[in-house]
Amino acid sequence: MNKGKGRISSKLLRRRDFLTKATGGVVAAAAFGAVPLRGWAADPVNIGGLYPVTGSMAQIGQGCVAAAKLAVEMVNEAGGIKSLGGAKLNLILSDVQSDTTVTRTETDRLISGNKLSAVHGCFASALTLIASEVAERAKVPIITGSSSDMLNKGRTYTFTPFARASQFAKAQLQMAKLVGDSPKVAVIFENTAFGTSTSNGLKELAPAEGVEIVMFEPYSAGFTDASPLINKVKASGANALFSVSYLNDLILIVRTVKQVGLNVAINGGSGGFVIPDFYKNVGKLAEGLQGVAHWNHDMSDDAQKVNAEYKKRTGEFLFEYAGGLVAQTFMLADALERAASADPQKVRDALSALDVSKGYAAMAPGGKVKFGPDGKNIYGRPVGVQWQNGDLASIFPKEDARAPLMKS
Amino acid sequence: MLEIVIQAVINGLLIGGIYALVSIGVTLIFGVVKIVNFAQGEFVMIGMYISFFLATQFGIDPIVSLIVSMPVLFIIGVLVQHFLIRRVLGLNDLPQIFLTFALSLLILNLALMLLTANYRTVHTWYSDEAFHVGGLYIPFAKLIAFVLAMLLSGMLWVFLHTTDLGKAMRAASQNRDVAQLMGINPNRVFAVALGIALALAGAAGSLLMPFYPAYPMVGQVFVLMAFVAVVLGTLGNVIGALVASLLMGIAESLGIQFIGADSGLIVVFLLLLTTLAVRPSGLAGGRRR
Repeated sequence: MNKGKGRISSKLLRRRDFLTKATGGVVAAAAFGAVPLRGWAADPVNIGGLYPVTGSMAQIGQGCVAAAKLAVEMVNEAGGIKSLGGAKLNLILSDVQSDTTVTRTETDRLISGNKLSAVHGCFASALTLIASEVAERAKVPIITGSSSDMLNKGRTYTFTPFARASQFAKAQLQMAKLVGDSPKVAVIFENTAFGTSTSNGLKELAPAEGVEIVMFEPYSAGFTDASPLINKVKASGANALFSVSYLNDLILIVRTVKQVGLNVAINGGSGGFVIPDFYKNVGKLAEGLQGVAHWNHDMSDDAQKVNAEYKKRTGEFLFEYAGGLVAQTFMLADALERAASADPQKVRDALSALDVSKGYAAMAPGGKVKFGPDGKNIYGRPVGVQWQNGDLASIFPKEDARAPLMKS
Repeated sequence: MLEIVIQAVINGLLIGGIYALVSIGVTLIFGVVKIVNFAQGEFVMIGMYISFFLATQFGIDPIVSLIVSMPVLFIIGVLVQHFLIRRVLGLNDLPQIFLTFALSLLILNLALMLLTANYRTVHTWYSDEAFHVGGLYIPFAKLIAFVLAMLLSGMLWVFLHTTDLGKAMRAASQNRDVAQLMGINPNRVFAVALGIALALAGAAGSLLMPFYPAYPMVGQVFVLMAFVAVVLGTLGNVIGALVASLLMGIAESLGIQFIGADSGLIVVFLLLLTTLAVRPSGLAGGRRR
């Protein structure tokens, strides 16, 4: 950075540099209660967190950050990483601004600017795919709740402890049969990558699951009025409606179904459908609506404990991404414990050998986490949920159900 | 079959009423002040948030809160004209375009920062109810919005045709220089035009609130349709914008019903292009220009 100054001043600069650093160090030491004196304290282990806390995905991103902080506190209060002399986890957050370009530069900056042992993020598949590419190249392990199947292709540092998108479609189809023996399903989906890939999965699997699809209709997201679309669903004679939609459209769809007086069982999928904000916007109309999630707060006693604490802090229940993130932090802690090192390569190796069936790290539908060679949890499966009394209840499959199905 | 067609027309007509309020504002500003207001959608958004906060904080019905959102936006309109638009009038088009565009981006991002990207909904007793007649249904909230939108448009028409200020406004829109020679103060006329246009945007916001969620980007959804309606209905023509908005609503709805749910905009723009091919200055375009 001092190229322009030439050789003459380099010595001087070095001295000045030394002085600044030394003074800075003394000042810092004084300010933080003379940290260097406590030589016995282990160096903290840096964990990176990449979430969009501004922009269009900020809603979910902010919840993730709250959960990530809570999880780190829990690990530290329980004594940190014992094999590293009780080292504390140090969470370094970065805002990826709901933008793919920013995600690339921020991930790069976070990894190159800090000595990280591992990274987690970013919830939205489009962002996570990019963050995982950068992390792979930098050889830093990344653990994520994102459901895109693409994350399990040709990657060695990416770990996905929860159900994959392809599994979600199957679960949704099976849930259609909870309502009636011969479900006639209308599938409506927004016509970009998210909607088309999910709905195609539904279409492919439907015959094998014995579900008849009577309407399969793409629409352009961000419409001003859902009435024409719902008019069409009505004409199709469907008794179940799968909507692969962003939150805004979904709110309009649910409200319009009510206005039309149409009697269909709605399955809203995952993402925006299974967060507290959905209920806030739709209110009582949400009661009885079904969806799928990779995590739910009523799964286990551990999950409920974390949920209670999260609720105390934020006033809302712990939604799937945020809850899964707490489990992920404990998976990282487990790996660090076994690796007995903060070196990202060793942490990756320990993660790939992870095998848990109890504790906070095992908070996943099924209660077990073990990664296959593709970074996929071999026990991973989604859980079917239903809005009941303003809360999300797990109702499917039988072994994961925590509440009976509410018939509307 | 007939029932489906009638229902599609009703749906289109009802949403067309909202398009009308937004597009009349745009066309009024264009007709009188000769600038394109790219920020019109953001003023709809402000109207929505005003109604949202009045509803959640004071329990005021969003439709009733029209009496707050319209005056507030009228004043904002006068201020925008006085402090911003007035400065760039008479220059070439570029500063004017960038001014309203910058205003749009500024308001949008301020809203994202201050209000967050969350969706906000108001539930009223009529929000999710509808009249059912035969196999048809007419949602209450949209019907109220439509009736009030038509009423406000009618009032604007009466104002433009019977009052001195209204006539001055039309005069200024037809020929600014001659109007000035006749003793019309253009700045005053422009300020009122901006005020009325923004008040209409505010009204659209309040009327939307019982059935549409508010969020910072919501204006963008409606402003695109408004611009199409303005061109389709002949630039600067209030009645043209109104008729075009209703037609577009119906075309969109029929398109979704009979072609495909992602064809709504395709149908609307086809309507625009064919109209322009036959009548280059829009539906209401006479031989005036």
